[in-house]
Amino acid sequence: MPRTLTDEMSLEQRMGALQEQNLQLARTIAELRNQDALKTQFLSNISHDLRTPLTAIITHAEILRDGILGALDERQAESISGIISGGRQLLGMVNEILTYARGEANQLSLSRSEISIESVIEQVCAMSESLIAKKEHSLSVDIEQGLPPVAADRDKIAHVLANLLGNAIDFTPPGGRVWIAARMAPDTEHGPAILIEVGDTGIGIAPEHFDLVFREFAQVDASNSRSHHGTGLGLAIAHKFVELHGGRIWLESTVGVGSRFYFTIPVRSAS
Amino acid sequence: MDVHVLLVEDSALVVDALRLLLEETGHRVSAAFNVRQAVDVARAERPDIILLDLTLGREDGLDVLGELSRTDNLPPVAVALTGHDNPETRERCIEAGCLDVLTKPISALQLPSLIRGWLAGRRAGDAGSPSDPAA
Repeated sequence: MPRTLTDEMSLEQRMGALQEQNLQLARTIAELRNQDALKTQFLSNISHDLRTPLTAIITHAEILRDGILGALDERQAESISGIISGGRQLLGMVNEILTYARGEANQLSLSRSEISIESVIEQVCAMSESLIAKKEHSLSVDIEQGLPPVAADRDKIAHVLANLLGNAIDFTPPGGRVWIAARMAPDTEHGPAILIEVGDTGIGIAPEHFDLVFREFAQVDASNSRSHHGTGLGLAIAHKFVELHGGRIWLESTVGVGSRFYFTIPVRSAS
Repeated sequence: MDVHVLLVEDSALVVDALRLLLEETGHRVSAAFNVRQAVDVARAERPDIILLDLTLGREDGLDVLGELSRTDNLPPVAVALTGHDNPETRERCIEAGCLDVLTKPISALQLPSLIRGWLAGRRAGDAGSPSDPAA
């Protein structure tokens, strides 16, 4: 029977009991880590398997939409388009879970090249144009002249930026202001870096939730009636991608006024 | 003659969808669900194109190309299908002899014109580099 610490024990006995407890703790931690790894593997498998039927659904719907089986009338085309956009949204979420699971299993790597932050910002803004128009937001972009190219993974930086911009658009009531700015950051531990800011005049985040938003599966409003839906992984993945580059991500926010998310990407990447 | 496409994909759902798309747009379609079947069909039927899913259950779809190249049965065009495109996967596919890598779901409208582009690139003797079939 495991010994427990009591006042009557000699010093030696107490040492022995402590050692035993330490061993037990180590075993428990190992077991928990193992279970966590299994869950991550499950997430990875299930999201992979979810994609297959979803792919088939989307392909069938596109065959119909594109008139390959005959022309559709306007209302039929509208309905099929609904299936496709719903399917693609679901696929995006499934892919997000898969990316997260791979990140947890340390299966993510960077494919670096010399990239221009300006062109990544342009690309992401172009992709978000229709969403911004739909919510009647105004978007402004302010990029410091003469920013150097950075050695980074273009797709991953675009993913981070698209995620932050997407949140800014989502969490800002119609007719709000959303902006992106890029400038040189004060020297970081990895040398010179570019600082990118994504700001909005949205609902804001309370200071006690600043850390929570970067945590996986955490949403500030976790109720079933919450108005914003998603996997809750977007910012956790953004955090991971920025960290892989040796950068940092953080936010400033005031409830009811708006939020500013910042991240840095070192010019000379951490290897 | 109709372009003959061999679909190598372990999901019957995906095969059905792509078969419908390809047959309706004037292609002849064969299907294989694993490496062994794919190699047998490719040797017997000599398709113009292999569309190759990278994960066939526990098997690696690219093994099909390895097997076929050993016996000199490589089709004119091999293209990989993957759920999740990333630079390493792309590199691995190109090294194994794929002309291109497509992310699923493949756009229904684009696939027929992609196929025309790949075959045209091959006929023009553009053997080594991935074609730009968007044109």
